[in-house]
Amino acid sequence: MLLEASGLTKSFGGVTAIADLDFGVPEGLVYAVIGPNGAGKTTLFNIISGIYRPDEGRLNFSGQDLIGRATHQIARLGMSRTFQNLQIFFNMSVLENVMVGCHARARTGLAGALLRLPRMRREEEEIRKWAGEALDFCGLGGLKGRQASELPYGALKRLEIARALAARPRLLLMDEPAAGLNDTETLEMRGLIGRIRDRGITILLVEHNMGLVMQVSDRILVLDYGSRLAEGTPAEVRSNPQVVAAYLGGEVHYAVE
Amino acid sequence: MKRLRGWWLLAALLAALPLIFPGNYYLIVVGASAGLFAILAVGLNLLMGYAGQISLGHAAFFGLGAYASAILTSRHGWNPWLALGAGLVVTGLIAYLIARPVLRLKGHYLAMATLGFGIIVHILLVQTGSLTGGPDGIGEIPPLSLFGWAIDTDGRWYAVIAATLLLVVLLALNLMDSRTGRALRALHGSEVAAGLMGIDTAAAKTSIFVLAALTAGLAGSLFAHQQAFVSPDSFNFFVSIELVTMVVLGGMASTYGAILGAVILTFLPELLVVFEDYEVLIFGAILMLIMIFLPQGIVGGLKDLWQSGHRRRGRPGKGDQDAA
Repeated sequence: MLLEASGLTKSFGGVTAIADLDFGVPEGLVYAVIGPNGAGKTTLFNIISGIYRPDEGRLNFSGQDLIGRATHQIARLGMSRTFQNLQIFFNMSVLENVMVGCHARARTGLAGALLRLPRMRREEEEIRKWAGEALDFCGLGGLKGRQASELPYGALKRLEIARALAARPRLLLMDEPAAGLNDTETLEMRGLIGRIRDRGITILLVEHNMGLVMQVSDRILVLDYGSRLAEGTPAEVRSNPQVVAAYLGGEVHYAVE
Repeated sequence: MKRLRGWWLLAALLAALPLIFPGNYYLIVVGASAGLFAILAVGLNLLMGYAGQISLGHAAFFGLGAYASAILTSRHGWNPWLALGAGLVVTGLIAYLIARPVLRLKGHYLAMATLGFGIIVHILLVQTGSLTGGPDGIGEIPPLSLFGWAIDTDGRWYAVIAATLLLVVLLALNLMDSRTGRALRALHGSEVAAGLMGIDTAAAKTSIFVLAALTAGLAGSLFAHQQAFVSPDSFNFFVSIELVTMVVLGGMASTYGAILGAVILTFLPELLVVFEDYEVLIFGAILMLIMIFLPQGIVGGLKDLWQSGHRRRGRPGKGDQDAA
């Protein structure tokens, strides 16, 4: 297992967001987490990426204990993510946004930057190249020189992915990559997720578009009130009576958008 | 070198001014003063404009550098350059010690904390009379000398301050166009995302806070030797506010904007003297008008105008390539 959680629990002032949750993400797969609004999906992402500290439980990423580590330390272990509500650096250009993604792959510090030493300049060239590759991979190569603030919403979604990929992660957390996209863009996103998986990058996916989830996922974890309702392949999950009950029992916001 | 075009232009301008207006006492003296404030503003802009962390107590570091030089040279007979170095060490150390707890705060709370720090330093300068000379300050500060050449005329001070400004600007430009600079701008854009890209945001904020403080300390040492006299009033709360105004007026996150802000805020009151009683009123009105019509600051506003002009003339710009 690349990522393994056991007994994970997190509550906010008496409201339990994640309750005694166990799951494991095998390397190389697309692993989706689904569940109704408020089921704890984003809380789970925030725990995994180190923004929240769980009250209890263990979290292991490729043999390393994640609990108590700061976000930047977790990122440096080879984990990267995108956000449900975009977290773009709007004060920077498209290329620079992705160059920030290369931060942990480079080394030049304050002194090297101030004096612009030859080694620093060589590294800058490399960072530029890496960032350019990530942009091309996400189909944004033509927008390199633009300010991030000039991009339309769909392109910003892909910019976040390019920035995350520039870090060359082993695990990529994608928080609702298709939210707010039209049908064509959703189709493109599906292709992009597939290409990322083909690169051998493990993907942990939170997504509300069930059509997309069923098509791209290898395994699915269904959350309800912060605990595990079901887990398995898309076919298993779809035929699980509990899932069907939870989904068809009056809840309509799971219809394919 | 395209990257440093602006820097060469600034160097040429600073060198040309005394040649174009030879013997213009006013320009040289006020120019040197504007140069010192430009050094301060460029340093503060690293912290405020680029990294997005406000400081309402920046004059304190200016004062620490100035008093370190003043006390060590006039009271203890230190070599001025050694005193300048010691001043930087002290300023940097104090900045480092307060950076971690203070920079955990955000927005208004950070403003309050830095404001408090600035006021505390000012009060200490006034109250610890045996060390700082109290409200009367310290006089008879010996001049700096460079290779046995005393910097004791207004023209020489202009040259030293201009050279220092050029050095500080060069370092600032280098820094912002680097991995470290991008990390600072990123944490301004989104601190959460910056952390998740592997940036140690607390360490990045601390180092830029210390660097901005060191720049102010350097300006303070030069100021002490240039004036040959320091008193607490040169480093009070209003000076901190003036520095923030320079950065905002010129255009946040623009090194040249910070310089422009410093030049305008130094020269404008001098030019407005002819209005006598109405000087402050007109000064305030000009600042308000600039911020209303150019909310991005002067450099930011002009950049926007330039780009929209380009678009109107049909050159590639915003909106044209969205389909690509």
